Amino acid sequence: MRPHSSLKQEFLKEWIKGLQRCSFPKKSILERKKAIKLSADIAMASARNGTTCWSRALISSAAKDGSDNNHLVKQILGPESDRPAVENKAPARQASVCKKILKRSCRIRRRGRRKCGAAAAPSSIAKHLVKKRRQILRSLIPGGEFMNEICLIEETLDYITSLRVQVDVMRSLATASVRGTE
Amino acid sequence: MENHFFLDAGIPPQAPPLHFGSSLSDWQSLPSAMEMEMEIQSQDCFPTGYGLRYESAMVSSPPASNCNMSSESLMMRKLTGNSGEIPHHSQPMLAASSCYGTPMNSPPQLNLPLPRPVALDSSVADFSADPGFAERAAKFSCFGSRSFNGRTTQFGPKDSVEIAAYRSNPLAPNAKLPRVSSSPAIKQRVAQVGGTNNRSELAISQEESTVSEQNPEPGFKGSNSRKRKAVPKAKTKETSPSPSPNASKVTEPNGASNEKRCKLSESNANENGSGKSEEDAKGSSTRALEPSQDYVHVRARRGQATDSHSLAERVRREKISERMKLLQDLVPGCNKVTGKALMLDEIINYVQSLQRQVEFLSMKLASVNTRLDFNVESLMSKDTFQSNTQQQQQIFPINSSAASAFLGHQSQQNPPLHSNIANGTMTQCSVDHLDTAICPKLNQFLETVSQYPTFCEGDLETLVQMGFGQNQSQEMALHSQNFQGLNQVSGMKVEL
Repeated sequence: MRPHSSLKQEFLKEWIKGLQRCSFPKKSILERKKAIKLSADIAMASARNGTTCWSRALISSAAKDGSDNNHLVKQILGPESDRPAVENKAPARQASVCKKILKRSCRIRRRGRRKCGAAAAPSSIAKHLVKKRRQILRSLIPGGEFMNEICLIEETLDYITSLRVQVDVMRSLATASVRGTE
Repeated sequence: MENHFFLDAGIPPQAPPLHFGSSLSDWQSLPSAMEMEMEIQSQDCFPTGYGLRYESAMVSSPPASNCNMSSESLMMRKLTGNSGEIPHHSQPMLAASSCYGTPMNSPPQLNLPLPRPVALDSSVADFSADPGFAERAAKFSCFGSRSFNGRTTQFGPKDSVEIAAYRSNPLAPNAKLPRVSSSPAIKQRVAQVGGTNNRSELAISQEESTVSEQNPEPGFKGSNSRKRKAVPKAKTKETSPSPSPNASKVTEPNGASNEKRCKLSESNANENGSGKSEEDAKGSSTRALEPSQDYVHVRARRGQATDSHSLAERVRREKISERMKLLQDLVPGCNKVTGKALMLDEIINYVQSLQRQVEFLSMKLASVNTRLDFNVESLMSKDTFQSNTQQQQQIFPINSSAASAFLGHQSQQNPPLHSNIANGTMTQCSVDHLDTAICPKLNQFLETVSQYPTFCEGDLETLVQMGFGQNQSQEMALHSQNFQGLNQVSGMKVEL
């Protein structure tokens, strides 16, 4: 694993800020876990400063009006509460653009398919498999439904590195906290 | 349209070389004609889909009895070697490359400078207008890039001159042909070719390689040969084709030049280690682009015609394969996997496992720390970014405490351990809920985790502790088998 120490530190800082802002009453463990995870996700997403699509989508989905996490998100983001509002628009715009691109490409592919009716079976099967997996990947990456293929893979790259950092930091925090409670 | 080209072109392999000043339509017809030859052999309809064309080209290669086939198969083998990770992706490329291999056969037409001032990729300039290229190509026998490079030394003195001449040619764009440049022989040829026009088909392979080289560039977009796109770097020095000296070499035997082109594209592919060079080799036209322009030039492939959609798709596919390669480096265990679907599978598994890890760790944190804010500050002071080794040293003694703390949440078997648990809010119902919530996920996670040997032992231990906490001792034994390599796991078992 590549140690992105700078990213790790940034993530940790933001996360701790969020954790501190979060009120931790004697809730059930699940709620606490939810709050921890949420603050971690938001810290991870904000570490990207809105450069990636998934981070924006993550924050916007977390800050959705009417969702349970809204108050938590506002607490965590605090003075930066204006950011989610801005980012809400970005994914929507991107979504519409990406959808247009997807529709266009689908139309083109349909045209091509019409011409080559006798498509070679193995290739079509392979394409189908790949398509299925792409759908799954889209569902995994936050905001992935709005991305075209190229964006999807780029976002996956970034998302994987962020997740790695998140896991590393959380793990070290967990072990350190366990050590601390001894 | 391609049919029309084919009919019009009607250029048999032994047709006399076209003049450099040939019209654009002629040039356009050339690649399509050659493609048609290939495809007709395969009895495939010409206006088929992009991928189908490639497949038909693949099919056509075996039946073809030309010497091209050997070179093509060689090229294909080389290309598969380079782009082995994505066979699905590379196959069309290989097919395409095989199509492009045939142009080698097509005689002087390939060497002709294509009268396409616009579309030709600057990268193509290397091969563009390369009658001398054909000549040089003829000198080399079919073999891998390395040997090819070795033989290029004979052209030493000439090359510099040619290369310089090539560079001086304004027509040659600054297409970056890293692959081409890496091959000295190619450079030599480019220098020779550059002279006449930038339209020789020889530039195709170079163009292809440059096109592929340009792929990583952000400005790269699929386009027909006429489009100009951002050209980030001009790795290829032979951007400007040397005009005059190459003109005389147009009449070189085309068969040899075809072979050479095969090899060049092969060497390009080999040297650059990507399967895109074959695409470059397919460039149908040379482009007369100044190196200073910053856009990527995409050369239309042979037989692909200049359909903007197909070109755009090709470029898009190249981009995707590029990024998949990056992903391969990131995701552990992806190097052995070949094929887009399998790689996507691995990626999906990895992302899912990472997400599950986050869940588990957040749950663990929630259970261990009742007052995170209080602990956070203390943790910060402890420098949580210690190396894994340091953590591992302390992990062994931690095992018992962590395990006990976790066990205390989960089971009633260790009532005395409850006192160790700082969390006083744990209730039985919450514990049960925790069990049900964690158990399935944890089992899955343990299974997926065992696939990733890159995890440090400490990480696995913490996970195993969580797993152990849930299950009875029998299941603990089962789980421990997942981590047979971990001595500490067995140590933990003993402890617990």
